[in-house]
Amino acid sequence: MMRTLRDLLLFFQRDVRIASTYRSPFVLELVEALFGAAMFYYVARFVDSPELRNALPQGTTYFAYALVGFIFFDYLHAALDSFDHTLEEARDTGTLEPLLVTQVSLPVALIGSSIYPFVLTTLRVAIYLGWGFILFGFPLRSANWLSVVIVLVATMLSFSGLGIFSSAFLLLFKRGNPSKWFFLGISSVVGGMLFPVGILPSWLQIIAHLNPVTYALDAMRGALLDGAGLRAIGYSLLVLVLFTILLLPTSILAFSWALKRTKINGTLSHR
Amino acid sequence: MPDSAITIDRLEKSFPRAQSGWRALLQPFASPTMQALRGISFDVRPGEAVALLGTNGAGKSTLLRILSTLLLPTRGRAVVAGHDSAREPAAVRRHLGYHAGSDLGFYARLTGEENLRFFGQLNDLSGSYLSSRIATLSAQFELRGAIENQVRTLSSGTVQRLSLLRALLHEPKVLLLDEPTRSLDALAAADFRRFLKTEVLQRQGTSLLFASHTLSEIEFLADRVAILNEGNLVAIETSAALKSRSGATTLEDAFSRLTGHSPHSLQELAPS
Repeated sequence: MMRTLRDLLLFFQRDVRIASTYRSPFVLELVEALFGAAMFYYVARFVDSPELRNALPQGTTYFAYALVGFIFFDYLHAALDSFDHTLEEARDTGTLEPLLVTQVSLPVALIGSSIYPFVLTTLRVAIYLGWGFILFGFPLRSANWLSVVIVLVATMLSFSGLGIFSSAFLLLFKRGNPSKWFFLGISSVVGGMLFPVGILPSWLQIIAHLNPVTYALDAMRGALLDGAGLRAIGYSLLVLVLFTILLLPTSILAFSWALKRTKINGTLSHR
Repeated sequence: MPDSAITIDRLEKSFPRAQSGWRALLQPFASPTMQALRGISFDVRPGEAVALLGTNGAGKSTLLRILSTLLLPTRGRAVVAGHDSAREPAAVRRHLGYHAGSDLGFYARLTGEENLRFFGQLNDLSGSYLSSRIATLSAQFELRGAIENQVRTLSSGTVQRLSLLRALLHEPKVLLLDEPTRSLDALAAADFRRFLKTEVLQRQGTSLLFASHTLSEIEFLADRVAILNEGNLVAIETSAALKSRSGATTLEDAFSRLTGHSPHSLQELAPS
Protein backbone atom coordinates (compact mmCIF):
# COMPACT_ATOMS: atom_id res chain seq x y z
CA MET A 1 0.00 0.00 0.00
CA MET A 2 2.76 2.46 1.01
CA ARG A 3 4.71 1.45 -2.05
CA THR A 4 1.74 2.14 -4.32
CA LEU A 5 1.22 5.55 -2.72
CA ARG A 6 4.91 6.33 -3.17
CA ASP A 7 4.74 5.32 -6.84
CA LEU A 8 1.61 7.44 -7.38
CA LEU A 9 3.43 10.40 -5.84
CA LEU A 10 6.45 9.81 -8.10
CA PHE A 11 4.27 10.05 -11.19
CA PHE A 12 2.63 13.21 -9.91
CA GLN A 13 6.04 14.78 -9.15
CA ARG A 14 7.24 13.81 -12.62
CA ASP A 15 4.26 15.56 -14.23
CA VAL A 16 4.70 18.67 -12.07
CA ARG A 17 8.37 18.84 -13.14
CA ILE A 18 7.46 18.46 -16.81
CA ALA A 19 4.68 21.06 -16.51
CA SER A 20 7.05 23.49 -14.78
CA THR A 21 9.17 23.59 -17.94
CA TYR A 22 6.22 25.25 -19.68
CA ARG A 23 5.32 28.55 -18.04
CA SER A 24 2.88 30.44 -20.25
CA PRO A 25 -0.07 27.98 -20.20
CA PHE A 26 -0.91 28.87 -16.59
CA VAL A 27 -1.26 32.55 -17.44
CA LEU A 28 -3.39 31.69 -20.48
CA GLU A 29 -5.54 29.47 -18.26
CA LEU A 30 -6.22 32.44 -15.97
CA VAL A 31 -7.30 34.60 -18.89
CA GLU A 32 -9.36 31.85 -20.50
CA ALA A 33 -11.21 31.23 -17.23
CA LEU A 34 -11.99 34.95 -16.99
CA PHE A 35 -13.52 34.96 -20.47
CA GLY A 36 -15.39 31.71 -19.74
CA ALA A 37 -16.90 33.03 -16.51
CA ALA A 38 -17.81 36.32 -18.21
CA MET A 39 -19.51 34.46 -21.06
CA PHE A 40 -21.69 32.49 -18.66
CA TYR A 41 -22.54 35.62 -16.71
CA TYR A 42 -23.80 37.50 -19.76
CA VAL A 43 -25.57 34.50 -21.28
CA ALA A 44 -27.31 33.98 -17.92
CA ARG A 45 -28.41 37.62 -17.85
CA PHE A 46 -29.69 37.33 -21.39
CA VAL A 47 -31.77 34.17 -20.87
CA ASP A 48 -33.00 35.04 -17.37
CA SER A 49 -36.78 34.59 -17.11
CA PRO A 50 -39.34 33.61 -14.44
CA GLU A 51 -39.78 30.18 -16.13
CA LEU A 52 -36.07 29.48 -15.92
CA ARG A 53 -35.89 30.57 -12.29
CA ASN A 54 -38.80 28.25 -11.47
CA ALA A 55 -37.01 25.30 -13.07
CA LEU A 56 -33.86 25.83 -10.99
CA PRO A 57 -33.40 24.96 -7.31
CA GLN A 58 -34.74 27.74 -5.14
CA GLY A 59 -32.47 30.74 -4.75
CA THR A 60 -30.06 29.61 -7.50
CA THR A 61 -29.24 31.93 -10.38
CA TYR A 62 -28.78 30.48 -13.83
CA PHE A 63 -25.25 31.88 -13.90
CA ALA A 64 -24.24 29.92 -10.81
CA TYR A 65 -26.09 26.82 -11.99
CA ALA A 66 -24.55 26.78 -15.47
CA LEU A 67 -21.04 27.71 -14.30
CA VAL A 68 -20.95 24.79 -11.84
CA GLY A 69 -22.27 22.41 -14.51
CA PHE A 70 -19.82 23.57 -17.13
CA ILE A 71 -16.66 23.58 -15.03
CA PHE A 72 -17.33 20.34 -13.17
CA PHE A 73 -18.09 18.59 -16.44
CA ASP A 74 -14.35 19.04 -17.01
CA TYR A 75 -13.72 16.24 -14.51
CA LEU A 76 -15.42 13.83 -16.87
CA HIS A 77 -13.20 15.10 -19.69
CA ALA A 78 -10.13 14.73 -17.47
CA ALA A 79 -11.08 11.18 -16.48
CA LEU A 80 -11.86 10.02 -19.99
CA ASP A 81 -8.87 11.73 -21.59
CA SER A 82 -6.05 11.49 -19.08
CA PHE A 83 -5.73 7.69 -19.00
CA ASP A 84 -5.86 7.42 -22.79
CA HIS A 85 -3.51 10.35 -23.19
CA THR A 86 -1.01 8.87 -20.74
CA LEU A 87 -0.98 5.57 -22.58
CA GLU A 88 -0.68 7.15 -26.03
CA GLU A 89 2.07 9.48 -24.91
CA ALA A 90 4.06 6.67 -23.28
CA ARG A 91 3.72 4.63 -26.46
CA ASP A 92 4.71 7.52 -28.72
CA THR A 93 7.67 8.70 -26.66
CA GLY A 94 8.92 5.14 -26.11
CA THR A 95 8.67 5.42 -22.31
CA LEU A 96 6.07 2.65 -22.05
CA GLU A 97 8.56 -0.24 -22.26
CA PRO A 98 11.15 1.28 -19.89
CA LEU A 99 8.31 1.80 -17.41
CA LEU A 100 7.14 -1.78 -17.79
CA VAL A 101 10.55 -3.22 -16.96
CA THR A 102 10.63 -1.39 -13.62
CA GLN A 103 8.89 -2.59 -10.47
CA VAL A 104 5.79 -0.46 -11.09
CA SER A 105 2.65 -2.04 -12.53
CA LEU A 106 1.01 -0.42 -15.55
CA PRO A 107 -2.32 0.25 -13.76
CA VAL A 108 -0.41 2.13 -11.02
CA ALA A 109 1.57 4.05 -13.68
CA LEU A 110 -1.67 4.94 -15.40
CA ILE A 111 -3.47 6.05 -12.25
CA GLY A 112 -0.38 7.95 -11.09
CA SER A 113 -0.21 9.77 -14.41
CA SER A 114 -3.83 10.83 -14.11
CA ILE A 115 -3.34 12.62 -10.78
CA TYR A 116 -1.80 15.71 -12.35
CA PRO A 117 -4.63 16.22 -14.90
CA PHE A 118 -7.14 15.94 -12.05
CA VAL A 119 -5.21 18.44 -9.95
CA LEU A 120 -4.97 20.74 -12.96
CA THR A 121 -8.72 20.45 -13.54
CA THR A 122 -9.29 21.32 -9.87
CA LEU A 123 -7.07 24.39 -10.26
CA ARG A 124 -8.98 25.41 -13.38
CA VAL A 125 -12.26 24.99 -11.52
CA ALA A 126 -10.92 27.12 -8.66
CA ILE A 127 -9.89 29.85 -11.10
CA TYR A 128 -13.33 29.85 -12.75
CA LEU A 129 -15.03 30.03 -9.36
CA GLY A 130 -12.62 32.74 -8.24
CA TRP A 131 -13.40 34.96 -11.23
CA GLY A 132 -17.11 34.17 -10.83
CA PHE A 133 -16.98 35.22 -7.18
CA ILE A 134 -14.83 38.33 -7.58
CA LEU A 135 -16.46 39.81 -10.69
CA PHE A 136 -19.89 38.27 -11.21
CA GLY A 137 -21.36 37.56 -7.77
CA PHE A 138 -21.03 33.78 -7.70
CA PRO A 139 -22.38 32.75 -4.23
CA LEU A 140 -19.18 31.15 -2.95
CA ARG A 141 -19.78 32.13 0.69
CA SER A 142 -22.64 29.67 1.06
CA ALA A 143 -20.55 26.63 0.08
CA ASN A 144 -20.06 23.70 2.44
CA TRP A 145 -16.38 22.99 1.73
CA LEU A 146 -16.23 19.63 3.47
CA SER A 147 -19.06 18.39 1.27
CA VAL A 148 -17.39 19.94 -1.79
CA VAL A 149 -14.14 18.05 -1.14
CA ILE A 150 -15.91 14.74 -0.48
CA VAL A 151 -18.05 15.09 -3.62
CA LEU A 152 -14.91 15.91 -5.61
CA VAL A 153 -13.10 12.78 -4.46
CA ALA A 154 -16.18 10.60 -5.10
CA THR A 155 -16.58 12.20 -8.53
CA MET A 156 -12.96 11.61 -9.53
CA LEU A 157 -13.01 8.00 -8.35
CA SER A 158 -16.28 7.13 -10.08
CA PHE A 159 -15.24 8.84 -13.34
CA SER A 160 -11.80 7.17 -13.23
CA GLY A 161 -13.37 3.76 -13.78
CA LEU A 162 -14.78 5.05 -17.08
CA GLY A 163 -11.37 6.38 -18.06
CA ILE A 164 -9.60 3.11 -17.28
CA PHE A 165 -12.18 1.18 -19.34
CA SER A 166 -11.43 3.56 -22.18
CA SER A 167 -7.66 2.96 -21.95
CA ALA A 168 -8.21 -0.83 -21.89
CA PHE A 169 -10.01 -0.36 -25.21
CA LEU A 170 -7.14 1.77 -26.50
CA LEU A 171 -4.58 -0.83 -25.44
CA LEU A 172 -6.41 -3.53 -27.38
CA PHE A 173 -7.57 -1.66 -30.47
CA LYS A 174 -4.88 1.07 -30.70
CA ARG A 175 -7.37 3.79 -31.61
CA GLY A 176 -9.48 6.15 -29.51
CA ASN A 177 -12.53 4.66 -27.97
CA PRO A 178 -15.68 5.78 -29.87
CA SER A 179 -17.88 4.97 -26.90
CA LYS A 180 -15.92 7.61 -24.96
CA TRP A 181 -17.15 10.34 -27.30
CA PHE A 182 -20.65 8.88 -27.22
CA PHE A 183 -20.57 8.92 -23.42
CA LEU A 184 -19.31 12.51 -23.32
CA GLY A 185 -21.97 13.57 -25.82
CA ILE A 186 -24.86 11.91 -24.05
CA SER A 187 -23.66 13.12 -20.65
CA SER A 188 -23.57 16.70 -21.87
CA VAL A 189 -27.27 16.36 -22.81
CA VAL A 190 -28.68 14.27 -19.97
CA GLY A 191 -26.14 14.91 -17.17
CA GLY A 192 -27.63 18.26 -16.15
CA MET A 193 -24.66 20.32 -17.26
CA LEU A 194 -26.54 23.44 -18.42
CA PHE A 195 -30.17 22.66 -17.58
CA PRO A 196 -31.99 20.60 -14.95
CA VAL A 197 -32.63 16.94 -15.71
CA GLY A 198 -36.28 17.54 -14.75
CA ILE A 199 -37.05 19.37 -18.01
CA LEU A 200 -36.00 16.36 -20.13
CA PRO A 201 -38.54 13.87 -21.57
CA SER A 202 -39.12 10.99 -19.17
CA TRP A 203 -37.14 8.43 -21.24
CA LEU A 204 -34.10 10.71 -21.23
CA GLN A 205 -34.50 11.16 -17.49
CA ILE A 206 -34.17 7.38 -17.11
CA ILE A 207 -30.86 7.52 -18.99
CA ALA A 208 -29.81 10.50 -16.87
CA HIS A 209 -30.30 8.49 -13.70
CA LEU A 210 -28.05 5.72 -14.99
CA ASN A 211 -25.24 8.21 -15.46
CA PRO A 212 -22.79 9.13 -12.65
CA VAL A 213 -22.43 12.64 -14.08
CA THR A 214 -26.00 13.45 -13.05
CA TYR A 215 -25.30 12.55 -9.42
CA ALA A 216 -21.91 14.27 -9.36
CA LEU A 217 -23.36 17.57 -10.61
CA ASP A 218 -26.36 17.26 -8.32
CA ALA A 219 -24.19 16.74 -5.26
CA MET A 220 -21.71 19.43 -6.26
CA ARG A 221 -24.45 22.04 -6.80
CA GLY A 222 -25.96 21.11 -3.45
CA ALA A 223 -22.61 21.45 -1.65
CA LEU A 224 -21.43 24.56 -3.48
CA LEU A 225 -24.60 26.59 -4.05
CA ASP A 226 -26.85 25.49 -1.17
CA GLY A 227 -24.19 24.72 1.44
CA ALA A 228 -25.67 21.24 1.76
CA GLY A 229 -24.11 18.93 4.34
CA LEU A 230 -23.30 15.27 3.78
CA ARG A 231 -26.73 14.17 4.96
CA ALA A 232 -28.51 16.39 2.42
CA ILE A 233 -26.46 15.11 -0.51
CA GLY A 234 -26.21 11.58 0.91
CA TYR A 235 -28.25 9.92 -1.82
CA SER A 236 -26.16 11.32 -4.68
CA LEU A 237 -22.96 10.52 -2.79
CA LEU A 238 -24.10 6.96 -2.16
CA VAL A 239 -24.83 6.45 -5.87
CA LEU A 240 -21.37 7.82 -6.74
CA VAL A 241 -19.78 5.41 -4.27
CA LEU A 242 -21.77 2.53 -5.81
CA PHE A 243 -20.61 3.56 -9.30
CA THR A 244 -17.02 3.61 -7.95
CA ILE A 245 -17.37 0.15 -6.38
CA LEU A 246 -18.76 -1.18 -9.63
CA LEU A 247 -16.55 0.60 -12.15
CA LEU A 248 -13.12 0.93 -10.56
CA PRO A 249 -12.29 -2.74 -9.84
CA THR A 250 -13.93 -4.00 -13.05
CA SER A 251 -12.09 -1.42 -15.14
CA ILE A 252 -8.74 -2.35 -13.56
CA LEU A 253 -9.51 -6.03 -14.24
CA ALA A 254 -10.42 -5.19 -17.83
CA PHE A 255 -7.21 -3.21 -18.21
CA SER A 256 -5.08 -6.03 -16.76
CA TRP A 257 -6.74 -8.49 -19.12
CA ALA A 258 -6.12 -6.17 -22.09
CA LEU A 259 -2.47 -5.81 -21.04
CA LYS A 260 -2.10 -9.59 -20.92
CA ARG A 261 -3.61 -9.88 -24.41
CA THR A 262 -1.12 -7.37 -25.78
CA LYS A 263 1.73 -9.35 -24.20
CA ILE A 264 0.40 -12.48 -25.88
CA ASN A 265 -0.13 -10.81 -29.25
CA GLY A 266 3.04 -8.72 -29.12
CA THR A 267 1.14 -5.48 -29.70
CA LEU A 268 2.03 -3.66 -26.48
CA SER A 269 3.97 -0.85 -28.11
CA HIS A 270 2.15 -0.91 -31.46
CA ARG A 271 0.43 2.28 -32.54
CA MET B 1 22.54 -17.04 -7.60
CA PRO B 2 21.19 -20.12 -9.37
CA ASP B 3 23.47 -22.24 -11.61
CA SER B 4 22.24 -20.33 -14.64
CA ALA B 5 21.64 -16.61 -14.92
CA ILE B 6 19.18 -17.32 -17.71
CA THR B 7 17.50 -20.61 -18.59
CA ILE B 8 15.51 -20.92 -21.78
CA ASP B 9 13.64 -24.18 -21.93
CA ARG B 10 11.82 -25.31 -25.10
CA LEU B 11 10.62 -21.76 -25.58
CA GLU B 12 8.02 -21.14 -28.27
CA LYS B 13 6.37 -17.92 -29.30
CA SER B 14 3.72 -17.41 -31.96
CA PHE B 15 1.96 -14.23 -33.02
CA PRO B 16 -1.40 -13.79 -34.72
CA ARG B 17 -1.40 -12.56 -38.29
CA ALA B 18 -2.22 -8.86 -38.74
CA GLN B 19 -5.86 -8.45 -39.72
CA SER B 20 -7.31 -5.69 -41.87
CA GLY B 21 -10.78 -4.28 -42.56
CA TRP B 22 -13.52 -5.29 -40.14
CA ARG B 23 -11.43 -8.28 -39.03
CA ALA B 24 -9.04 -5.82 -37.34
CA LEU B 25 -11.72 -5.54 -34.63
CA LEU B 26 -11.08 -9.19 -33.80
CA GLN B 27 -7.26 -8.80 -33.86
CA PRO B 28 -6.86 -8.92 -30.06
CA PHE B 29 -8.58 -12.31 -30.02
CA ALA B 30 -6.94 -13.82 -33.12
CA SER B 31 -5.16 -17.16 -32.80
CA PRO B 32 -1.37 -17.05 -32.86
CA THR B 33 -0.32 -18.83 -36.02
CA MET B 34 3.02 -17.26 -36.99
CA GLN B 35 5.90 -18.92 -35.17
CA ALA B 36 8.68 -16.58 -34.09
CA LEU B 37 10.48 -19.00 -31.74
CA ARG B 38 10.32 -22.75 -32.30
CA GLY B 39 11.16 -24.47 -29.06
CA ILE B 40 14.64 -23.15 -28.34
CA SER B 41 16.65 -24.12 -25.25
CA PHE B 42 19.92 -22.82 -23.83
CA ASP B 43 21.47 -21.37 -20.68
CA VAL B 44 23.49 -18.28 -19.92
CA ARG B 45 25.88 -18.85 -17.01
CA PRO B 46 26.48 -16.29 -14.27
CA GLY B 47 28.97 -13.70 -15.51
CA GLU B 48 28.81 -14.99 -19.08
CA ALA B 49 28.18 -12.88 -22.18
CA VAL B 50 26.14 -14.53 -24.92
CA ALA B 51 25.42 -12.87 -28.26
CA LEU B 52 22.32 -13.53 -30.33
CA LEU B 53 23.13 -13.54 -34.02
CA GLY B 54 20.58 -13.83 -36.80
CA THR B 55 18.93 -11.97 -39.63
CA ASN B 56 15.85 -9.80 -39.05
CA GLY B 57 12.91 -11.99 -38.05
CA ALA B 58 15.17 -14.70 -36.62
CA GLY B 59 13.58 -14.25 -33.18
CA LYS B 60 16.31 -12.32 -31.33
CA SER B 61 14.17 -9.40 -30.16
CA THR B 62 11.23 -11.70 -29.40
CA LEU B 63 13.47 -13.73 -27.10
CA LEU B 64 14.80 -10.62 -25.35
CA ARG B 65 11.29 -9.24 -24.93
CA ILE B 66 10.05 -12.49 -23.37
CA LEU B 67 12.98 -12.45 -20.93
CA SER B 68 12.25 -8.82 -20.06
CA THR B 69 8.56 -9.70 -19.34
CA LEU B 70 7.25 -7.52 -22.19
CA LEU B 71 5.93 -10.61 -23.98
CA LEU B 72 4.38 -13.85 -22.76
CA PRO B 73 5.70 -17.10 -24.23
CA THR B 74 3.30 -19.42 -26.05
CA ARG B 75 4.98 -22.55 -24.65
CA GLY B 76 8.09 -23.37 -22.66
CA ARG B 77 9.87 -21.38 -19.97
CA ALA B 78 12.19 -18.43 -19.71
CA VAL B 79 13.87 -18.14 -16.30
CA VAL B 80 15.95 -15.16 -15.19
CA ALA B 81 17.96 -15.35 -11.94
CA GLY B 82 15.81 -18.29 -10.86
CA HIS B 83 12.46 -16.60 -11.59
CA ASP B 84 10.00 -17.53 -14.32
CA SER B 85 9.36 -14.54 -16.60
CA ALA B 86 5.68 -15.40 -17.08
CA ARG B 87 4.83 -16.33 -13.49
CA GLU B 88 7.04 -14.00 -11.47
CA PRO B 89 7.52 -10.96 -13.71
CA ALA B 90 8.16 -8.53 -10.83
CA ALA B 91 10.93 -10.75 -9.39
CA VAL B 92 12.48 -11.08 -12.85
CA ARG B 93 12.45 -7.32 -13.36
CA ARG B 94 14.24 -6.82 -10.04
CA HIS B 95 17.27 -8.69 -11.40
CA LEU B 96 17.10 -7.41 -14.93
CA GLY B 97 18.41 -4.46 -16.88
CA TYR B 98 16.95 -4.01 -20.35
CA HIS B 99 18.07 -1.63 -23.05
CA ALA B 100 16.27 -1.84 -26.38
CA GLY B 101 18.90 0.07 -28.34
CA SER B 102 16.54 2.93 -29.03
CA ASP B 103 17.25 6.58 -28.35
CA LEU B 104 13.63 7.05 -27.25
CA GLY B 105 12.29 6.15 -23.85
CA PHE B 106 12.94 9.29 -21.82
CA TYR B 107 10.86 12.29 -20.81
CA ALA B 108 12.29 14.85 -23.20
CA ARG B 109 11.64 17.91 -21.04
CA LEU B 110 13.20 16.44 -17.91
CA THR B 111 16.95 16.45 -17.44
CA GLY B 112 18.90 13.22 -17.76
CA GLU B 113 19.32 13.14 -13.99
CA GLU B 114 15.62 13.71 -13.33
CA ASN B 115 14.83 10.85 -15.68
CA LEU B 116 17.37 8.58 -13.98
CA ARG B 117 16.02 9.46 -10.54
CA PHE B 118 12.45 8.75 -11.65
CA PHE B 119 13.24 5.34 -13.13
CA GLY B 120 15.64 4.51 -10.28
CA GLN B 121 12.97 5.24 -7.69
CA LEU B 122 10.50 3.05 -9.57
CA ASN B 123 13.12 0.32 -9.13
CA ASP B 124 13.13 0.90 -5.37
CA LEU B 125 16.37 2.89 -5.25
CA SER B 126 16.38 5.98 -3.10
CA GLY B 127 18.30 8.62 -1.22
CA SER B 128 22.06 8.69 -1.09
CA TYR B 129 22.44 5.25 -2.71
CA LEU B 130 20.58 6.40 -5.83
CA SER B 131 22.58 9.64 -5.92
CA SER B 132 25.88 7.80 -5.63
CA ARG B 133 24.90 5.28 -8.32
CA ILE B 134 23.98 8.10 -10.70
CA ALA B 135 27.22 9.95 -9.90
CA THR B 136 29.41 6.86 -10.30
CA LEU B 137 27.82 5.60 -13.49
CA SER B 138 27.57 9.01 -15.11
CA ALA B 139 31.28 9.49 -14.47
CA GLN B 140 32.05 6.07 -15.97
CA PHE B 141 29.84 6.81 -18.96
CA GLU B 142 31.28 10.33 -19.30
CA LEU B 143 27.81 11.75 -18.91
CA ARG B 144 28.41 13.94 -15.88
CA GLY B 145 27.75 17.22 -17.65
CA ALA B 146 25.15 15.83 -20.01
CA ILE B 147 22.76 14.54 -17.37
CA GLU B 148 22.17 18.08 -16.15
CA ASN B 149 20.56 18.98 -19.48
CA GLN B 150 17.05 18.26 -20.71
CA VAL B 151 17.03 15.01 -22.69
CA ARG B 152 15.61 16.79 -25.76
CA THR B 153 18.89 18.67 -26.09
CA LEU B 154 21.09 15.55 -26.03
CA SER B 155 22.51 13.76 -29.07
CA SER B 156 21.27 10.34 -30.07
CA GLY B 157 24.46 8.67 -28.89
CA THR B 158 24.31 10.40 -25.51
CA VAL B 159 20.72 9.27 -25.04
CA GLN B 160 21.81 5.71 -25.86
CA ARG B 161 24.45 5.83 -23.15
CA LEU B 162 21.91 7.34 -20.77
CA SER B 163 19.61 4.45 -21.58
CA LEU B 164 22.29 1.89 -20.76
CA LEU B 165 23.08 3.78 -17.57
CA ARG B 166 19.41 3.53 -16.61
CA ALA B 167 19.45 -0.23 -17.25
CA LEU B 168 22.44 -0.62 -14.90
CA LEU B 169 21.27 1.70 -12.09
CA HIS B 170 19.81 -1.01 -9.88
CA GLU B 171 22.83 -3.31 -10.34
CA PRO B 172 20.97 -6.02 -12.22
CA LYS B 173 22.38 -9.56 -12.26
CA VAL B 174 21.34 -9.94 -15.88
CA LEU B 175 21.61 -7.37 -18.64
CA LEU B 176 19.63 -7.71 -21.87
CA LEU B 177 20.64 -5.49 -24.77
CA ASP B 178 18.98 -5.31 -28.15
CA GLU B 179 21.42 -3.84 -30.68
CA PRO B 180 23.00 -1.59 -28.06
CA THR B 181 25.32 0.35 -30.39
CA ARG B 182 22.78 0.91 -33.17
CA SER B 183 22.73 4.71 -32.86
CA LEU B 184 26.32 5.27 -31.80
CA ASP B 185 29.13 6.54 -33.99
CA ALA B 186 32.17 4.28 -34.40
CA LEU B 187 34.20 5.87 -31.61
CA ALA B 188 31.30 6.00 -29.17
CA ALA B 189 30.44 2.38 -30.00
CA ALA B 190 34.03 1.29 -29.31
CA ASP B 191 34.04 3.15 -25.97
CA PHE B 192 30.70 1.63 -25.12
CA ARG B 193 31.94 -1.91 -25.82
CA ARG B 194 35.06 -1.37 -23.75
CA PHE B 195 32.94 -0.12 -20.87
CA LEU B 196 30.62 -3.11 -21.13
CA LYS B 197 33.55 -5.51 -21.14
CA THR B 198 35.62 -4.01 -18.33
CA GLU B 199 33.01 -2.53 -16.00
CA VAL B 200 29.84 -4.53 -16.51
CA LEU B 201 31.14 -7.96 -17.42
CA GLN B 202 34.57 -8.19 -15.77
CA ARG B 203 34.26 -5.95 -12.72
CA GLN B 204 30.57 -6.37 -11.82
CA GLY B 205 30.20 -9.94 -13.12
CA THR B 206 26.85 -9.15 -14.73
CA SER B 207 25.51 -11.78 -17.12
CA LEU B 208 24.85 -10.40 -20.57
CA LEU B 209 22.58 -11.55 -23.37
CA PHE B 210 22.64 -9.21 -26.33
CA ALA B 211 21.49 -9.13 -29.93
CA SER B 212 23.74 -7.54 -32.49
CA HIS B 213 24.40 -7.42 -36.21
CA THR B 214 27.92 -6.10 -35.68
CA LEU B 215 30.24 -9.12 -35.85
CA SER B 216 33.28 -7.32 -34.42
CA GLU B 217 31.15 -6.37 -31.41
CA ILE B 218 30.06 -9.96 -30.95
CA GLU B 219 33.61 -11.26 -31.17
CA PHE B 220 34.84 -8.63 -28.73
CA LEU B 221 32.13 -9.11 -26.09
CA ALA B 222 30.64 -12.57 -26.32
CA ASP B 223 31.91 -15.71 -24.61
CA ARG B 224 29.47 -17.70 -26.75
CA VAL B 225 27.36 -16.93 -29.80
CA ALA B 226 23.82 -18.25 -30.25
CA ILE B 227 22.83 -18.38 -33.91
CA LEU B 228 19.12 -18.09 -34.51
CA ASN B 229 17.50 -18.79 -37.84
CA GLU B 230 13.73 -18.48 -38.40
CA GLY B 231 13.01 -19.10 -34.74
CA ASN B 232 15.33 -22.10 -34.39
CA LEU B 233 18.55 -22.25 -32.42
CA VAL B 234 21.10 -23.41 -34.98
CA ALA B 235 24.13 -23.42 -32.70
CA ILE B 236 25.47 -21.97 -29.47
CA GLU B 237 29.23 -22.11 -29.10
CA THR B 238 32.27 -19.91 -28.81
CA SER B 239 33.11 -17.94 -31.90
CA ALA B 240 36.21 -20.11 -32.44
CA ALA B 241 34.19 -23.33 -32.11
CA LEU B 242 31.58 -22.07 -34.58
CA LYS B 243 34.29 -21.30 -37.12
CA SER B 244 36.01 -24.61 -36.61
CA ARG B 245 32.74 -26.57 -36.74
CA SER B 246 31.72 -24.98 -40.04
CA GLY B 247 35.22 -24.91 -41.51
CA ALA B 248 35.01 -21.12 -41.82
CA THR B 249 37.69 -18.53 -41.22
CA THR B 250 35.38 -15.72 -40.14
CA LEU B 251 32.25 -15.54 -37.99
CA GLU B 252 30.39 -14.10 -40.94
CA ASP B 253 31.31 -17.09 -43.03
CA ALA B 254 30.42 -19.48 -40.21
CA PHE B 255 27.01 -17.84 -39.90
CA SER B 256 26.48 -18.15 -43.60
CA ARG B 257 27.40 -21.83 -43.70
CA LEU B 258 25.33 -22.74 -40.65
CA THR B 259 22.17 -20.90 -41.71
CA GLY B 260 22.37 -21.05 -45.48
CA HIS B 261 22.06 -17.26 -45.67
CA SER B 262 24.39 -15.45 -48.03
CA PRO B 263 27.24 -13.61 -46.24
CA HIS B 264 25.91 -10.19 -47.23
CA SER B 265 22.56 -10.86 -45.52
CA LEU B 266 24.25 -9.90 -42.26
CA GLN B 267 26.26 -7.04 -43.77
CA GLU B 268 23.10 -5.51 -45.19
CA LEU B 269 21.61 -5.40 -41.74
CA ALA B 270 24.66 -4.20 -39.92
CA PRO B 271 24.89 -0.49 -39.26
CA SER B 272 27.67 1.26 -41.12
